[in-house]
Amino acid sequence: MLKLVGCILLLFATTGIGFILAGKLAARPKQIRRLISALSILETEIHYSSRNLSTACSHIGDRDIEMISELFRQMALRLTTMDGAATYECLKLAVQDWWPTSAMKTSEKEVFLQFCKTLGNSDRSDQLTHLALAKQNLQVEEQKAREEQFQYEKMVRTLGVLAGALLIILLY
Amino acid sequence: MDLKPIYQVLPLSIRNRIQSLPRTILSGLEEVRIRQDRPLEVIASGKNWFVSSNQQLKLDPRDCIHPTREECHKLLNLISNHSLYALEEELRLGYITVEGGHRIGLAGKVITEGGRVKHVRDVTGFNIRIARQIKGVGSALFPIINQKDEIKNLLIVSPPGCGKTTLLRDLARLVSTGEGCTARKVGIVDERSEIAGCVTGVPQHDVGARTDILDACPKAEGMMMLIRSMSPEIIVVDEVGRKEDADAIHEAIYAGVHLFTTAHGSSIEEVRKRPILKDLIEEGVFERIVLLSRRSGPGTVEAVYDGTCQLLRTAVCSS
Repeated sequence: MLKLVGCILLLFATTGIGFILAGKLAARPKQIRRLISALSILETEIHYSSRNLSTACSHIGDRDIEMISELFRQMALRLTTMDGAATYECLKLAVQDWWPTSAMKTSEKEVFLQFCKTLGNSDRSDQLTHLALAKQNLQVEEQKAREEQFQYEKMVRTLGVLAGALLIILLY
Repeated sequence: MDLKPIYQVLPLSIRNRIQSLPRTILSGLEEVRIRQDRPLEVIASGKNWFVSSNQQLKLDPRDCIHPTREECHKLLNLISNHSLYALEEELRLGYITVEGGHRIGLAGKVITEGGRVKHVRDVTGFNIRIARQIKGVGSALFPIINQKDEIKNLLIVSPPGCGKTTLLRDLARLVSTGEGCTARKVGIVDERSEIAGCVTGVPQHDVGARTDILDACPKAEGMMMLIRSMSPEIIVVDEVGRKEDADAIHEAIYAGVHLFTTAHGSSIEEVRKRPILKDLIEEGVFERIVLLSRRSGPGTVEAVYDGTCQLLRTAVCSS
Protein backbone atom coordinates (compact mmCIF):
# COMPACT_ATOMS: atom_id res chain seq x y z
CA MET A 1 0.00 0.00 0.00
CA LEU A 2 2.77 2.38 1.06
CA LYS A 3 4.66 1.50 -2.12
CA LEU A 4 1.64 2.38 -4.20
CA VAL A 5 1.37 5.78 -2.53
CA GLY A 6 5.08 6.34 -3.15
CA CYS A 7 4.68 5.44 -6.80
CA ILE A 8 1.83 7.85 -7.26
CA LEU A 9 3.79 10.63 -5.54
CA LEU A 10 6.82 9.95 -7.73
CA LEU A 11 4.71 10.00 -10.85
CA PHE A 12 3.16 13.29 -9.82
CA ALA A 13 6.54 14.78 -9.06
CA THR A 14 8.17 13.89 -12.38
CA THR A 15 5.07 14.89 -14.32
CA GLY A 16 5.12 18.20 -12.46
CA ILE A 17 8.78 18.79 -13.30
CA GLY A 18 8.06 17.99 -16.94
CA PHE A 19 5.20 20.48 -17.02
CA ILE A 20 7.22 23.20 -15.32
CA LEU A 21 10.08 22.81 -17.79
CA ALA A 22 7.64 22.80 -20.70
CA GLY A 23 5.99 25.88 -19.25
CA LYS A 24 9.34 27.67 -19.19
CA LEU A 25 9.94 26.75 -22.80
CA ALA A 26 6.55 28.21 -23.69
CA ALA A 27 7.02 31.33 -21.57
CA ARG A 28 10.39 32.26 -23.03
CA PRO A 29 9.31 33.46 -26.49
CA LYS A 30 6.36 35.26 -24.93
CA GLN A 31 8.60 37.13 -22.55
CA ILE A 32 11.02 38.02 -25.32
CA ARG A 33 8.07 39.37 -27.29
CA ARG A 34 7.01 41.51 -24.34
CA LEU A 35 10.55 42.76 -23.89
CA ILE A 36 10.53 43.83 -27.54
CA SER A 37 7.27 45.70 -27.09
CA ALA A 38 8.67 47.35 -23.96
CA LEU A 39 11.60 48.52 -26.09
CA SER A 40 9.11 50.00 -28.56
CA ILE A 41 7.62 52.03 -25.74
CA LEU A 42 11.11 53.10 -24.72
CA GLU A 43 11.65 54.18 -28.30
CA THR A 44 8.72 56.60 -28.23
CA GLU A 45 9.76 57.83 -24.80
CA ILE A 46 13.21 58.62 -26.15
CA HIS A 47 12.31 59.77 -29.62
CA TYR A 48 9.08 61.66 -29.18
CA SER A 49 8.86 62.61 -25.52
CA SER A 50 12.62 62.95 -25.05
CA ARG A 51 12.23 61.90 -21.43
CA ASN A 52 15.23 61.03 -19.38
CA LEU A 53 16.09 57.40 -18.92
CA SER A 54 14.95 56.90 -15.34
CA THR A 55 11.58 58.54 -16.00
CA ALA A 56 11.13 56.52 -19.18
CA CYS A 57 11.98 53.30 -17.34
CA SER A 58 9.61 54.01 -14.49
CA HIS A 59 6.86 54.84 -16.99
CA ILE A 60 7.32 51.42 -18.54
CA GLY A 61 7.48 49.97 -15.03
CA ASP A 62 4.09 51.50 -14.28
CA ARG A 63 2.51 49.75 -17.21
CA ASP A 64 1.10 46.31 -16.84
CA ILE A 65 3.47 44.25 -18.93
CA GLU A 66 3.74 40.83 -17.34
CA MET A 67 7.19 40.25 -15.83
CA ILE A 68 8.86 42.97 -17.89
CA SER A 69 7.49 45.93 -15.89
CA GLU A 70 9.40 44.69 -12.88
CA LEU A 71 12.67 44.74 -14.81
CA PHE A 72 12.13 48.36 -15.84
CA ARG A 73 11.08 49.33 -12.33
CA GLN A 74 14.36 47.95 -11.03
CA MET A 75 16.30 49.70 -13.78
CA ALA A 76 14.69 53.02 -12.86
CA LEU A 77 15.44 52.44 -9.19
CA ARG A 78 19.09 51.66 -9.83
CA LEU A 79 19.49 54.67 -12.10
CA THR A 80 18.24 57.06 -9.46
CA THR A 81 19.92 55.64 -6.39
CA MET A 82 23.48 54.89 -7.37
CA ASP A 83 25.11 58.33 -7.04
CA GLY A 84 25.80 58.85 -10.69
CA ALA A 85 27.62 55.56 -11.26
CA ALA A 86 28.07 54.66 -14.92
CA THR A 87 24.74 54.06 -16.62
CA TYR A 88 25.78 50.58 -17.71
CA GLU A 89 26.72 49.58 -14.15
CA CYS A 90 23.30 50.60 -12.88
CA LEU A 91 21.48 48.77 -15.63
CA LYS A 92 23.67 45.69 -15.37
CA LEU A 93 22.91 45.27 -11.69
CA ALA A 94 19.19 45.53 -12.32
CA VAL A 95 19.35 43.05 -15.20
CA GLN A 96 21.43 40.56 -13.25
CA ASP A 97 19.07 40.71 -10.29
CA TRP A 98 15.99 40.28 -12.35
CA TRP A 99 17.01 37.84 -15.06
CA PRO A 100 16.94 34.61 -13.00
CA THR A 101 13.29 35.27 -12.12
CA SER A 102 12.33 35.19 -15.79
CA ALA A 103 12.13 32.32 -18.25
CA MET A 104 14.63 33.97 -20.56
CA LYS A 105 18.08 32.57 -21.09
CA THR A 106 21.57 33.98 -21.33
CA SER A 107 21.54 34.62 -25.07
CA GLU A 108 18.73 37.19 -24.73
CA LYS A 109 20.44 38.56 -21.66
CA GLU A 110 23.62 39.16 -23.64
CA VAL A 111 21.68 40.97 -26.35
CA PHE A 112 19.93 43.13 -23.76
CA LEU A 113 23.10 43.93 -21.85
CA GLN A 114 24.85 44.84 -25.06
CA PHE A 115 22.03 47.26 -25.73
CA CYS A 116 22.26 48.64 -22.17
CA LYS A 117 25.87 49.61 -22.87
CA THR A 118 24.70 52.11 -25.45
CA LEU A 119 21.66 53.37 -23.61
CA GLY A 120 21.70 57.00 -22.57
CA ASN A 121 25.16 57.96 -23.71
CA SER A 122 24.64 59.27 -27.21
CA ASP A 123 22.30 61.51 -29.14
CA ARG A 124 18.77 60.64 -30.08
CA SER A 125 19.32 59.28 -33.58
CA ASP A 126 22.10 57.04 -32.33
CA GLN A 127 19.88 55.78 -29.54
CA LEU A 128 17.23 54.89 -32.09
CA THR A 129 19.72 52.95 -34.19
CA HIS A 130 20.75 50.92 -31.17
CA LEU A 131 17.14 50.37 -30.17
CA ALA A 132 16.31 49.07 -33.63
CA LEU A 133 19.32 46.80 -33.56
CA ALA A 134 18.45 45.42 -30.14
CA LYS A 135 14.89 44.76 -31.24
CA GLN A 136 16.11 42.97 -34.32
CA ASN A 137 18.46 40.77 -32.33
CA LEU A 138 15.77 39.99 -29.81
CA GLN A 139 13.45 39.01 -32.65
CA VAL A 140 16.05 36.50 -33.81
CA GLU A 141 16.22 35.14 -30.27
CA GLU A 142 12.47 34.99 -30.12
CA GLN A 143 12.37 32.98 -33.33
CA LYS A 144 14.95 30.56 -31.94
CA ALA A 145 13.03 30.27 -28.69
CA ARG A 146 9.86 29.53 -30.63
CA GLU A 147 11.54 26.77 -32.59
CA GLU A 148 12.87 25.32 -29.36
CA GLN A 149 9.44 25.45 -27.85
CA PHE A 150 7.96 23.74 -30.89
CA GLN A 151 10.58 21.03 -30.79
CA TYR A 152 10.81 20.30 -27.11
CA GLU A 153 7.70 21.46 -25.32
CA LYS A 154 5.61 18.33 -25.91
CA MET A 155 8.62 16.10 -25.56
CA VAL A 156 9.58 17.49 -22.15
CA ARG A 157 6.02 17.13 -20.96
CA THR A 158 5.69 13.47 -22.00
CA LEU A 159 9.24 12.80 -20.87
CA GLY A 160 8.22 13.82 -17.36
CA VAL A 161 5.41 11.29 -17.26
CA LEU A 162 7.50 8.58 -18.89
CA ALA A 163 10.51 9.18 -16.61
CA GLY A 164 8.16 8.73 -13.66
CA ALA A 165 6.82 5.53 -15.13
CA LEU A 166 10.34 4.24 -15.76
CA LEU A 167 11.43 4.95 -12.20
CA ILE A 168 8.37 3.17 -10.88
CA ILE A 169 9.08 0.10 -12.99
CA LEU A 170 12.70 0.09 -11.86
CA LEU A 171 11.96 0.61 -8.19
CA TYR A 172 8.82 -1.44 -7.79
CA MET B 1 18.65 79.91 -0.15
CA ASP B 2 17.93 76.36 -1.11
CA LEU B 3 20.97 74.57 -2.43
CA LYS B 4 19.31 71.16 -2.45
CA PRO B 5 18.92 70.94 -6.24
CA ILE B 6 22.64 71.66 -6.50
CA TYR B 7 23.56 68.96 -4.00
CA GLN B 8 21.39 66.52 -5.91
CA VAL B 9 23.52 66.73 -9.01
CA LEU B 10 26.87 66.54 -7.24
CA PRO B 11 28.53 63.15 -6.74
CA LEU B 12 28.73 62.18 -3.09
CA SER B 13 32.46 62.93 -2.69
CA ILE B 14 32.13 66.49 -4.00
CA ARG B 15 28.77 67.03 -2.32
CA ASN B 16 30.27 66.33 1.10
CA ARG B 17 33.03 68.85 0.51
CA ILE B 18 30.66 71.58 -0.57
CA GLN B 19 28.17 70.87 2.18
CA SER B 20 30.82 71.16 4.85
CA LEU B 21 31.91 74.62 3.73
CA PRO B 22 31.27 77.43 6.24
CA ARG B 23 27.73 78.78 6.33
CA THR B 24 28.80 82.29 5.40
CA ILE B 25 30.31 80.95 2.19
CA LEU B 26 27.28 78.83 1.36
CA SER B 27 24.87 81.70 1.87
CA GLY B 28 26.80 83.87 -0.55
CA LEU B 29 27.65 81.09 -2.99
CA GLU B 30 27.64 82.24 -6.59
CA GLU B 31 29.47 79.58 -8.53
CA VAL B 32 30.96 76.16 -8.03
CA ARG B 33 33.55 75.36 -10.65
CA ILE B 34 34.56 71.80 -11.26
CA ARG B 35 37.37 71.11 -13.68
CA GLN B 36 38.76 67.66 -14.24
CA ASP B 37 42.16 67.18 -12.56
CA ARG B 38 42.30 70.81 -11.51
CA PRO B 39 41.48 72.40 -8.17
CA LEU B 40 37.87 72.66 -7.07
CA GLU B 41 36.86 76.30 -7.03
CA VAL B 42 34.00 78.12 -5.36
CA ILE B 43 33.01 81.72 -5.87
CA ALA B 44 31.11 83.34 -3.05
CA SER B 45 30.19 86.98 -2.51
CA GLY B 46 32.41 88.03 -5.40
CA LYS B 47 35.55 86.27 -4.12
CA ASN B 48 37.04 83.09 -5.46
CA TRP B 49 38.48 80.31 -3.34
CA PHE B 50 39.99 76.90 -3.86
CA VAL B 51 38.85 74.11 -1.59
CA SER B 52 41.69 72.26 0.07
CA SER B 53 41.59 68.62 1.08
CA ASN B 54 40.83 69.48 4.71
CA GLN B 55 37.85 71.66 3.77
CA GLN B 56 39.83 74.89 4.12
CA LEU B 57 39.32 77.70 1.67
CA LYS B 58 42.53 78.94 0.15
CA LEU B 59 43.70 81.33 -2.50
CA ASP B 60 46.63 79.13 -3.31
CA PRO B 61 45.70 76.34 -5.71
CA ARG B 62 48.33 73.94 -4.37
CA ASP B 63 47.19 70.79 -2.50
CA CYS B 64 43.57 71.35 -3.18
CA ILE B 65 40.97 68.82 -4.17
CA HIS B 66 41.23 67.79 -7.78
CA PRO B 67 37.99 66.29 -9.06
CA THR B 68 38.83 63.10 -10.93
CA ARG B 69 37.71 61.91 -14.32
CA GLU B 70 35.35 59.49 -12.64
CA GLU B 71 33.77 62.24 -10.57
CA CYS B 72 33.24 64.32 -13.69
CA HIS B 73 31.54 61.36 -15.33
CA LYS B 74 29.32 60.88 -12.32
CA LEU B 75 28.48 64.55 -12.29
CA LEU B 76 27.45 64.48 -15.93
CA ASN B 77 25.38 61.34 -15.33
CA LEU B 78 23.60 63.00 -12.44
CA ILE B 79 23.03 66.23 -14.34
CA SER B 80 21.70 64.43 -17.39
CA ASN B 81 19.88 61.70 -15.48
CA HIS B 82 21.80 59.19 -17.56
CA SER B 83 20.18 60.55 -20.70
CA LEU B 84 22.39 62.59 -22.97
CA TYR B 85 19.88 62.15 -25.78
CA ALA B 86 17.38 64.26 -23.85
CA LEU B 87 19.87 67.11 -23.64
CA GLU B 88 20.80 67.44 -27.30
CA GLU B 89 19.81 71.08 -27.49
CA GLU B 90 21.38 71.88 -24.12
CA LEU B 91 24.66 70.25 -25.11
CA ARG B 92 24.65 72.25 -28.30
CA LEU B 93 24.21 75.47 -26.37
CA GLY B 94 26.62 74.43 -23.65
CA TYR B 95 24.51 74.72 -20.54
CA ILE B 96 21.76 72.95 -18.68
CA THR B 97 19.16 74.44 -16.38
CA VAL B 98 18.35 72.32 -13.37
CA GLU B 99 15.60 72.48 -10.81
CA GLY B 100 15.61 75.74 -8.91
CA GLY B 101 16.63 77.67 -12.02
CA HIS B 102 20.33 77.07 -11.40
CA ARG B 103 22.43 76.76 -14.51
CA ILE B 104 25.31 74.49 -15.22
CA GLY B 105 27.68 75.58 -17.95
CA LEU B 106 29.62 72.86 -19.73
CA ALA B 107 33.03 72.92 -21.34
CA GLY B 108 34.95 70.19 -23.09
CA LYS B 109 35.61 68.89 -26.55
CA VAL B 110 33.18 70.47 -28.97
CA ILE B 111 31.93 68.42 -31.88
CA THR B 112 30.89 70.36 -34.95
CA GLU B 113 28.90 69.37 -37.97
CA GLY B 114 28.93 71.47 -41.09
CA GLY B 115 30.61 74.28 -39.16
CA ARG B 116 27.90 74.40 -36.50
CA VAL B 117 28.33 73.18 -32.96
CA LYS B 118 26.66 69.80 -32.62
CA HIS B 119 27.37 69.00 -29.02
CA VAL B 120 30.00 68.97 -26.30
CA ARG B 121 31.74 65.65 -25.85
CA ASP B 122 34.16 64.73 -23.04
CA VAL B 123 32.74 67.29 -20.69
CA THR B 124 35.54 68.21 -18.31
CA GLY B 125 34.55 71.63 -17.06
CA PHE B 126 31.40 72.46 -15.14
CA ASN B 127 30.34 75.84 -13.92
CA ILE B 128 27.43 75.55 -11.53
CA ARG B 129 25.90 78.99 -11.30
CA ILE B 130 23.60 79.43 -8.38
CA ALA B 131 20.56 81.40 -9.42
CA ARG B 132 19.22 83.78 -6.86
CA GLN B 133 15.93 85.42 -7.17
CA ILE B 134 16.00 88.64 -5.21
CA LYS B 135 12.45 89.74 -4.86
CA GLY B 136 11.99 93.44 -4.62
CA VAL B 137 15.11 94.58 -6.50
CA GLY B 138 12.87 96.18 -9.07
CA SER B 139 10.64 98.07 -6.65
CA ALA B 140 12.95 101.07 -6.39
CA LEU B 141 13.07 101.47 -10.16
CA PHE B 142 9.46 100.69 -10.77
CA PRO B 143 8.07 104.24 -10.47
CA ILE B 144 10.40 105.28 -13.30
CA ILE B 145 9.01 102.67 -15.65
CA ASN B 146 5.45 102.95 -14.54
CA GLN B 147 4.13 106.48 -14.65
CA LYS B 148 0.45 107.06 -13.99
CA ASP B 149 -0.14 103.37 -14.62
CA GLU B 150 1.45 103.62 -18.01
CA ILE B 151 4.30 101.20 -18.66
CA LYS B 152 7.37 102.48 -20.51
CA ASN B 153 9.53 100.44 -22.86
CA LEU B 154 12.70 99.63 -20.98
CA LEU B 155 16.27 98.76 -21.88
CA ILE B 156 18.62 97.66 -19.12
CA VAL B 157 22.31 98.07 -19.95
CA SER B 158 25.22 96.60 -18.00
CA PRO B 159 28.30 94.42 -18.25
CA PRO B 160 27.75 90.70 -17.43
CA GLY B 161 27.13 89.78 -13.82
CA CYS B 162 25.67 93.10 -12.70
CA GLY B 163 22.18 91.84 -12.12
CA LYS B 164 20.45 92.61 -15.41
CA THR B 165 18.53 89.39 -15.50
CA THR B 166 17.67 89.52 -11.81
CA LEU B 167 16.26 93.01 -12.27
CA LEU B 168 14.40 92.02 -15.43
CA ARG B 169 12.86 89.03 -13.66
CA ASP B 170 11.71 91.11 -10.75
CA LEU B 171 10.20 93.75 -13.00
CA ALA B 172 8.30 91.02 -14.85
CA ARG B 173 7.03 89.76 -11.51
CA LEU B 174 5.98 93.22 -10.34
CA VAL B 175 4.06 94.03 -13.51
CA SER B 176 2.49 90.61 -13.68
CA THR B 177 1.26 90.52 -10.09
CA GLY B 178 0.36 94.18 -10.19
CA GLU B 179 2.47 95.48 -7.35
CA GLY B 180 2.29 99.21 -7.80
CA CYS B 181 0.29 99.10 -11.03
CA THR B 182 -2.59 97.26 -12.61
CA ALA B 183 -1.63 93.63 -13.21
CA ARG B 184 -0.70 93.13 -16.86
CA LYS B 185 -0.37 90.05 -19.02
CA VAL B 186 3.32 89.38 -19.40
CA GLY B 187 5.02 87.16 -21.96
CA ILE B 188 8.62 86.08 -21.45
CA VAL B 189 10.77 84.75 -24.28
CA ASP B 190 13.43 82.96 -22.32
CA GLU B 191 15.96 81.89 -24.91
CA ARG B 192 18.60 80.86 -22.40
CA SER B 193 16.26 79.74 -19.63
CA GLU B 194 17.72 82.45 -17.44
CA ILE B 195 14.78 84.67 -16.66
CA ALA B 196 12.30 82.10 -15.45
CA GLY B 197 14.66 79.13 -15.21
CA CYS B 198 12.10 76.65 -16.50
CA VAL B 199 12.43 72.93 -15.92
CA THR B 200 10.04 70.91 -18.12
CA GLY B 201 8.19 74.12 -18.88
CA VAL B 202 7.54 75.08 -15.27
CA PRO B 203 9.16 78.34 -14.09
CA GLN B 204 11.44 77.83 -11.10
CA HIS B 205 11.50 81.50 -10.21
CA ASP B 206 8.51 83.58 -9.29
CA VAL B 207 7.80 85.57 -12.44
CA GLY B 208 4.30 86.58 -11.50
CA ALA B 209 0.79 85.23 -11.73
CA ARG B 210 -0.07 86.49 -15.19
CA THR B 211 3.12 85.50 -16.95
CA ASP B 212 3.47 83.11 -19.88
CA ILE B 213 6.87 81.75 -20.77
CA LEU B 214 8.29 80.42 -24.00
CA ASP B 215 11.24 78.51 -22.69
CA ALA B 216 14.40 78.02 -24.79
CA CYS B 217 12.71 79.79 -27.68
CA PRO B 218 14.67 81.95 -30.14
CA LYS B 219 13.95 85.57 -29.28
CA ALA B 220 12.67 86.96 -32.55
CA GLU B 221 10.45 84.00 -33.33
CA GLY B 222 9.27 83.83 -29.73
CA MET B 223 8.19 87.45 -29.68
CA MET B 224 6.12 86.88 -32.81
CA MET B 225 4.62 83.71 -31.35
CA LEU B 226 3.60 85.53 -28.20
CA ILE B 227 2.01 88.41 -30.08
CA ARG B 228 0.07 86.00 -32.26
CA SER B 229 -1.10 83.61 -29.62
CA MET B 230 -0.82 84.87 -26.06
CA SER B 231 -1.85 88.55 -26.46
CA PRO B 232 0.68 89.88 -23.95
CA GLU B 233 0.66 93.50 -22.83
CA ILE B 234 4.34 93.36 -21.98
CA ILE B 235 7.04 91.23 -23.57
CA VAL B 236 10.18 90.46 -21.63
CA VAL B 237 13.31 89.31 -23.49
CA ASP B 238 16.94 89.09 -22.58
CA GLU B 239 19.82 90.46 -24.62
CA VAL B 240 18.57 91.77 -27.92
CA GLY B 241 21.03 92.77 -30.60
CA ARG B 242 20.44 90.87 -33.80
CA LYS B 243 18.68 92.01 -36.96
CA GLU B 244 15.73 89.64 -36.47
CA ASP B 245 15.29 90.89 -32.93
CA ALA B 246 14.92 94.44 -34.16
CA ASP B 247 12.26 93.39 -36.66
CA ALA B 248 10.34 91.55 -33.99
CA ILE B 249 10.67 94.50 -31.63
CA HIS B 250 9.20 96.81 -34.24
CA GLU B 251 6.39 94.38 -34.77
CA ALA B 252 5.71 94.32 -31.04
CA ILE B 253 6.05 98.03 -30.29
CA TYR B 254 3.79 99.07 -33.11
CA ALA B 255 1.25 96.47 -32.09
CA GLY B 256 0.86 98.26 -28.78
CA VAL B 257 2.87 95.81 -26.77
CA HIS B 258 5.41 97.10 -24.28
CA LEU B 259 8.89 95.73 -24.00
CA PHE B 260 11.40 95.09 -21.24
CA THR B 261 14.79 94.04 -22.49
CA THR B 262 18.51 94.10 -21.76
CA ALA B 263 21.80 94.59 -23.58
CA HIS B 264 25.45 94.17 -22.67
CA GLY B 265 27.47 97.35 -22.36
CA SER B 266 29.07 99.51 -19.73
CA SER B 267 27.83 102.93 -20.85
CA ILE B 268 25.12 104.41 -22.97
CA GLU B 269 27.71 105.61 -25.50
CA GLU B 270 28.84 102.03 -25.96
CA VAL B 271 25.35 100.76 -26.62
CA ARG B 272 24.74 103.56 -29.07
CA LYS B 273 27.60 102.28 -31.17
CA ARG B 274 26.12 98.83 -31.59
CA PRO B 275 24.56 98.63 -35.08
CA ILE B 276 21.09 97.32 -34.31
CA LEU B 277 20.68 98.90 -30.90
CA LYS B 278 21.80 102.27 -32.28
CA ASP B 279 18.89 102.34 -34.68
CA LEU B 280 16.41 101.24 -32.06
CA ILE B 281 17.58 103.89 -29.60
CA GLU B 282 17.64 106.66 -32.20
CA GLU B 283 14.15 105.74 -33.23
CA GLY B 284 13.16 106.27 -29.63
CA VAL B 285 11.84 102.79 -29.14
CA PHE B 286 13.06 102.64 -25.56
CA GLU B 287 11.45 105.19 -23.34
CA ARG B 288 13.70 104.40 -20.39
CA ILE B 289 17.29 103.17 -20.41
CA VAL B 290 18.75 101.98 -17.12
CA LEU B 291 22.47 101.57 -16.61
CA LEU B 292 23.67 99.07 -14.01
CA SER B 293 27.08 98.37 -12.52
CA ARG B 294 28.69 96.43 -9.69
CA ARG B 295 30.05 99.53 -7.97
CA SER B 296 28.32 98.90 -4.68
CA GLY B 297 27.35 95.31 -5.27
CA PRO B 298 25.46 93.79 -8.22
CA GLY B 299 22.42 95.77 -9.25
CA THR B 300 23.78 99.26 -8.56
CA VAL B 301 21.77 101.70 -10.65
CA GLU B 302 24.26 104.06 -12.24
CA ALA B 303 21.93 106.17 -14.29
CA VAL B 304 18.51 106.34 -15.86
CA TYR B 305 18.01 107.91 -19.28
CA ASP B 306 14.85 108.69 -21.18
CA GLY B 307 14.06 107.90 -24.80
CA THR B 308 16.24 110.68 -26.16
CA CYS B 309 19.18 109.64 -23.97
CA GLN B 310 18.66 112.56 -21.65
CA LEU B 311 19.86 111.82 -18.17
CA LEU B 312 16.87 111.51 -15.85
CA ARG B 313 18.66 110.44 -12.74
CA THR B 314 22.16 109.64 -11.59
CA ALA B 315 21.45 108.97 -7.93
CA VAL B 316 23.08 105.72 -6.98
CA CYS B 317 20.39 103.70 -5.30
CA SER B 318 21.78 100.34 -4.40
CA SER B 319 18.86 97.96 -4.62
